Amino acid sequence: MNPERLRILDLLATGKITAEEADRLLDALKPRPGAPNPDENPSQTAPTGLPKFMYVKVISVAGDNVNVKIPLSLVRAGLKLTSLIPPQAMDQINKSMSEHGMSIDLSNLKGEDVEDLITALREMEINVDAKNGDNIRVYCA
Amino acid sequence: MKVPPYALSLRVADAGRTKVRLWLPMFIVWPLLLALGLLAVIAALLVDLVFLVTARRPRYTAFVVGCLGLAGEARGTEVFVNKESQTVVLTIR
Repeated sequence: MNPERLRILDLLATGKITAEEADRLLDALKPRPGAPNPDENPSQTAPTGLPKFMYVKVISVAGDNVNVKIPLSLVRAGLKLTSLIPPQAMDQINKSMSEHGMSIDLSNLKGEDVEDLITALREMEINVDAKNGDNIRVYCA
Repeated sequence: MKVPPYALSLRVADAGRTKVRLWLPMFIVWPLLLALGLLAVIAALLVDLVFLVTARRPRYTAFVVGCLGLAGEARGTEVFVNKESQTVVLTIR
């Protein structure tokens, strides 16, 4: 049995999650339409069955398309690197980011948070349908 | 740490016809990058040593090693941009 499925059932058995929550989590494990089928190309998915890549797809009605495939290990390494940035440089980065409208204090990002963030990213799916017909999709597979 | 990217390919096409196709063998510059990486690690170690003496938290070595690791994780990145009839595809292998 899939280890994720087993873990969800274990959480349900121990009463840590409700049957509804378990149902939702099990649904999230099902392959998404349009996502690459791991059976077709096993090298695209990690041996544990976890997603290996983050996809960003932009399809505009004007015919402009952007398709970006980023290894999740790169995202993880990048996030972990932020927790290693020397404090002297961190102040400048935070200041520059806030000037550009991103008020995020990167010094608050700890190593253990990165793992949680990556786990959450694996289950994330963003679908934006703009009024003008443009479509943006961000997901992991 | 993973093996750094060994090739970078870039393809620019216009109306379905390939105009530019570049395959950059990154493994040729590996020895140079290794030397630069080692120099950076040595410099970071020296800075951290000074930081230890001045009772500040040493972080530069970990940061430099993290940067080198980041380069290794970039393998598999693909960027595809299509605007009107022009297409640009960048792949890091």
